[in-house]
Amino acid sequence: MSDVMTPKAPQWWKKPDVKKTAILWVICTAVIGFVGVEFHVRNMVRPASETMSGVISLMRIFTWAAAPVAGLVGAICLTALTSKRHYGDNPPPESDHQISNSPRTNAVWIVVSALLCLFALVGGFIVIQKDSAALLDKNAIQVNVTGQQWLWSFDYENGARSEDLYLPVDKPAVFHITSVDVKHSFWVVQMGIKMDANPGYTTDAAVTPNKIGVFDVRCAELCGLLHAYMQTKVHVVSQADYEAWLSNHAAIEKGA
Amino acid sequence: MTTLTSKPVSAPGKSIIEKLNFFTALALGAISAIVVWRLALQFLPQDAEEARLFSREDKITLLSMVAWFIGFMTGIGALVGPFRWLMGKDLSHDENMFLAGKDMGVKRYFRYTTDHKVVGIQYLVTTMAMFGIGGILAMLIRTNLGTPEGGWIHPQAYNSIVGTHGIIMIVATIIMVTGPFGNFIVPIMIGARDMAFPRLNALSFWLIVAAAVPLIWGQFIGGISTGWTAYNPLAGQAPLGMDGYIMFICIFAISTMVAGANITTTVVRMRAKGMTWNRTPIFIYGVVASVVLALPAFPVFFLSQIMSAMDRALDTSFYNTAGGGSGWLYENLFWIMGHPEVYVILIPAVAALMEMAPVFTRRPLFSFNVAVMGIAGISGLSALVWAHHMYMSGWAPLLNTPFMLTTELISIPTGMLFLVLVGTLWRGRLWMTMPALSIFALLWNFMIGGITGIYLSDVPADAFLHGSMYVTAHFHYTLMGAGLTGALAALVYWFPAMTGRMFDKRLSWVAFWMVQIGFNIAFVGMFAVGLAGQPRRVESFAPTFNTGNMITTAGAYLVMSGMLVLLYGVISSWKSGIKAPKNPWQAKTLEWTVGYPIPLENFDVLPVVTSDAYGYGKAKP
Repeated sequence: MSDVMTPKAPQWWKKPDVKKTAILWVICTAVIGFVGVEFHVRNMVRPASETMSGVISLMRIFTWAAAPVAGLVGAICLTALTSKRHYGDNPPPESDHQISNSPRTNAVWIVVSALLCLFALVGGFIVIQKDSAALLDKNAIQVNVTGQQWLWSFDYENGARSEDLYLPVDKPAVFHITSVDVKHSFWVVQMGIKMDANPGYTTDAAVTPNKIGVFDVRCAELCGLLHAYMQTKVHVVSQADYEAWLSNHAAIEKGA
Repeated sequence: MTTLTSKPVSAPGKSIIEKLNFFTALALGAISAIVVWRLALQFLPQDAEEARLFSREDKITLLSMVAWFIGFMTGIGALVGPFRWLMGKDLSHDENMFLAGKDMGVKRYFRYTTDHKVVGIQYLVTTMAMFGIGGILAMLIRTNLGTPEGGWIHPQAYNSIVGTHGIIMIVATIIMVTGPFGNFIVPIMIGARDMAFPRLNALSFWLIVAAAVPLIWGQFIGGISTGWTAYNPLAGQAPLGMDGYIMFICIFAISTMVAGANITTTVVRMRAKGMTWNRTPIFIYGVVASVVLALPAFPVFFLSQIMSAMDRALDTSFYNTAGGGSGWLYENLFWIMGHPEVYVILIPAVAALMEMAPVFTRRPLFSFNVAVMGIAGISGLSALVWAHHMYMSGWAPLLNTPFMLTTELISIPTGMLFLVLVGTLWRGRLWMTMPALSIFALLWNFMIGGITGIYLSDVPADAFLHGSMYVTAHFHYTLMGAGLTGALAALVYWFPAMTGRMFDKRLSWVAFWMVQIGFNIAFVGMFAVGLAGQPRRVESFAPTFNTGNMITTAGAYLVMSGMLVLLYGVISSWKSGIKAPKNPWQAKTLEWTVGYPIPLENFDVLPVVTSDAYGYGKAKP
């Protein structure tokens, strides 16, 4: 990028400022990429579905794609900060250069940012396609999710109803989400899916859990007084355990 | 001034406008509110059986608030001019001089004063007061969340604090640059004697004061327990405080429209001779882009709240599904305002720093044209991205892809602004002052805010991140980290022009570092808990989030301390700072040519501009 700043110099890359910035660029890119990825991946919840693993790798890729840009801005800032500083109440002498434009730099910058933007878009499109295909899966378990102030309830195909969500592992599940009062948002944290529960409408979301365990459901849309407490658990169990629980639970429901 | 057709009134004794001020406005507003409240209580019929909650109380509250508004605006003198005009008269020269605040000292700050410099100072003080209140509320939130497993504030009060903090800060950040500096600096910077419509200028300011009271009032009748977004149907079932929010937004929206029309007209029509668009400073572009964006956005906000008020008070069902409405309608209207609005906040702050970058590097602004294109591109695209706030609302999943497209496209013009700033820093001779450092702080914070914005714009990633603390941290990085940083730099930079004194250098540095370090600690902690799965706007959370929240709270306290240092700096420098030389930064824009105190009409002789304002640097041999 810095070449065009000194277009007439025969060997612009040998200028001390340019060399310094180039070295800093490499260092900054590496540091930003590494720190950014580690910060995100270490803080993010352990994935319990393919979708969530996808989100994590997407963040990893996006961070590395953004690192060179952030690195270049950082490098130029550091170069500026470490040379020709002037303190005091009066302005420093005017700078040596009166460059007020550089069409080539602008063009390179805009083209590169457009390409990065395109890259991010394509990445997003591919995952959206995959995720929306999951909604149409014929073998999926269908669960009706109802939000109300301030709890969740789940209705299964055989008539069972529960306040903790039960799902079999490795089987796609489709949620039909609605609300009886105000807007809520159904967030299965470790599975990386979220969909608002709207009164009067049913919205859909799909996910395939791939890990046995207990995970969190939280409400992600402010829904009044006890919004913070509107959470429950999702139990992902083996297919056999799931069927056992389901028939057992349906029986209890009917008996009651 | 007086037109040829209308006769000036010869006023024996004191004219009515000389008797009106802030205190008569308060009194008249309060009296009107009480009278209407009492009458409404007496005569409004009881609710029908099928009416939803609160309907009659809502009517009474809203009517009293409207009465307050009309009373206050009458009491401040906003109606004197239009009324006289209706009678076929106009204000006399003396009255116009009085309105402009000629020879009135401190009193003019408490009147319907039309001088843009007075309005600028009024905006500055009001903005600072709003940041003070919003900041105290922020500290209450952070203190509540700093203790493990939630807090000591009742959930209802907590929700109300969150909502009030949100809306106050949004409004304060909207006006923080275009209010004080847009009014005080812009007319002088373009070489004008005043704004195009001085009375509208006074109107836009006093509308904000009028708007503040319903918001405060609302705190005592249930508060704003819905968050600043006030989504329906939650807002429909919220207590009466919601009416305070509705009135606040409606009045503020009018103020924004008035100010937007005024600033736009001023810049289009009143630039000095020779100030072509290519010679117009970039800050002017930023301010105009901001108010032009607000012009279509705020009427929508206004209407969304009118409909909200009707749903509450008149049992209509714009947003009520059972009656055939939809909450999604509200969300659409809200974000059609809400996304342009973040750029209303951001663009003038970035443009202010772009204005300062050449001054503090002593070289021309790099690629002025790219800067203008960047601002224009952001403004244009920002009108087309609103539904990225609704990816997970279920409203129209098929539209997620096109909205993702427009949202990510915005990174291209945003990148242009980065290019202009780093291009200007490149090989400049850096003059280390607080505003200069703010350029670096802006690049740092805006980079983090921007990149996290790209994650959020990606639909699959947003499925995880939406509604979490990650979002909260992201928009604080953009609005506070980038926006407020620019506004504080603008304050220090233009302080000498506005007060005639230098901002205390040491205090500006101390405040800068405390705020920036505290800010980054606070919101990196918030990113972390967001990634770990903490939703927004919760007053209690799982123990796994303890550490992150404690870090955030610690950072927030550091920000608060820094802000107090800054406040002390403002007060002490204003009272007894070093007297500023005529052009302390040796900048080349017109606002530094008028000296201090600035005469009532700014320029004795209107300036003629022959070049752009960035002619720094030694020309190449």
